[in-house]
Amino acid sequence: MLTAESLTALDENEAQALESHLQSCLECRLELDEWQQSVAVLALSTTPLEPSPKLRVRMLESIKTEPDIETKSGNSNGSRTAKVLEFVASYSGKSPSIQKWGAIAASLLFLALLISLVVLWNESNATKHELARLSNQIQQTVQLLTREQEAIAILTAPGARVAELSGTDIVPSTHAILAYDKNGRAILIVRGLPPPPAGKMYQLWFSARGRFLPGKVFTTGYSGEATLNEQVPAEALKASAFSVTVEPENGMRSPTGAVYLRSVP
Amino acid sequence: MQPEQAQISDVELLHAIARRDEQALAFLYDRYRSILFGLLVRILSVREEAEDVLQEVFLQVWRRSGDFNEQRGRPFTWLVTLARSRAIDRLRMLGARHRLAVSVAQDPSDQSSDAVNDTYKSEQRKIVVSALAELSAEQRDALLLAYFGGLTQSEIASQLNTPLGTVKTRMRSGLIKLREILNKQMRSLR
Repeated sequence: MLTAESLTALDENEAQALESHLQSCLECRLELDEWQQSVAVLALSTTPLEPSPKLRVRMLESIKTEPDIETKSGNSNGSRTAKVLEFVASYSGKSPSIQKWGAIAASLLFLALLISLVVLWNESNATKHELARLSNQIQQTVQLLTREQEAIAILTAPGARVAELSGTDIVPSTHAILAYDKNGRAILIVRGLPPPPAGKMYQLWFSARGRFLPGKVFTTGYSGEATLNEQVPAEALKASAFSVTVEPENGMRSPTGAVYLRSVP
Repeated sequence: MQPEQAQISDVELLHAIARRDEQALAFLYDRYRSILFGLLVRILSVREEAEDVLQEVFLQVWRRSGDFNEQRGRPFTWLVTLARSRAIDRLRMLGARHRLAVSVAQDPSDQSSDAVNDTYKSEQRKIVVSALAELSAEQRDALLLAYFGGLTQSEIASQLNTPLGTVKTRMRSGLIKLREILNKQMRSLR
């Protein structure tokens, strides 16, 4: 029966019986394989013929739409059909070299991502610092604008007065103005006054009835500029003498230090 | 076929096809298209039908190359078996078996054709034709009617007006003798 089966020449009932037998008989399956190889040489008895060249193109085009690889298939119905020689799949599908190169590629990709993260982190930090600097600058600008607005408000207020202060022999180039309204709301703007000595601050004084009334302490920094909001004491509102001395950090109740600025009569 | 293509074994090509290598499929097609097409035309007699089946065969190769187990046989055997099976299926569907039953009894070497010159395959063909010639006419008819005509033993018995048992004996003895002859002459075919 095996020789006839190798030629697919068994009648249907015999073919089905043999198929059932082959499922449990390895020896017969192997013998059938041998007969099928012998039968295959009959194909060599035919005259080789060349198919149409277009068939090659059609064939290669047809596989492009194929999705997955099929595995073994059997007869789809009970009728007698020619059987396709079936083999047990033993092919793994990938060569070790492809797996090795794939692992190397994955490692390189990971390293590249890591480097990118570090670079981005550094750039992020730099950006943060820049943002902080700009934020600080904006804040200072806002403060300056606010003070300028306040100064304008004071200067344009009804009954506003402006006193000019000049530098003394210590810093002749410095000068300042003190603007205040009738309610004593004042602003002191100083220019060209170097920073005070270490541990010292500048202090504003209001002269009234032979006494010096203390104002706020302030510093100028290396820009030599200072803008100070102040409240002129009520008893000093009609006075027109103002001065700036250098005093200890927390200020004094009476002037003790050298005079740097004095109001012009 | 280019020299570099000829260096790749059939097994390597099937493995590559299983990895979805389209070029490998093209190589395999180029290597066996003339033999397979000749077989299909011999079975189906109509070139257009044979081309359809040949395309179908290589589509099956593309789909099922991962199933090939080289320990159970050669790729050539697998391809030929696949092609013949598809052709017999088509033949039965077309209902042309009776017409072919007459033509397949002819000596293959009598066919006139636009044969392709391939020295190696030509040598192999000569060996197989020579081996078939050493069989008795009855043995040869039984084998060829079954192989190229797709007839069952009962159909052959009916066709030749011969007892079924006789056909079975001729078929078996003919195949055994053919194998013995080929084993002696051309071990590379196995």
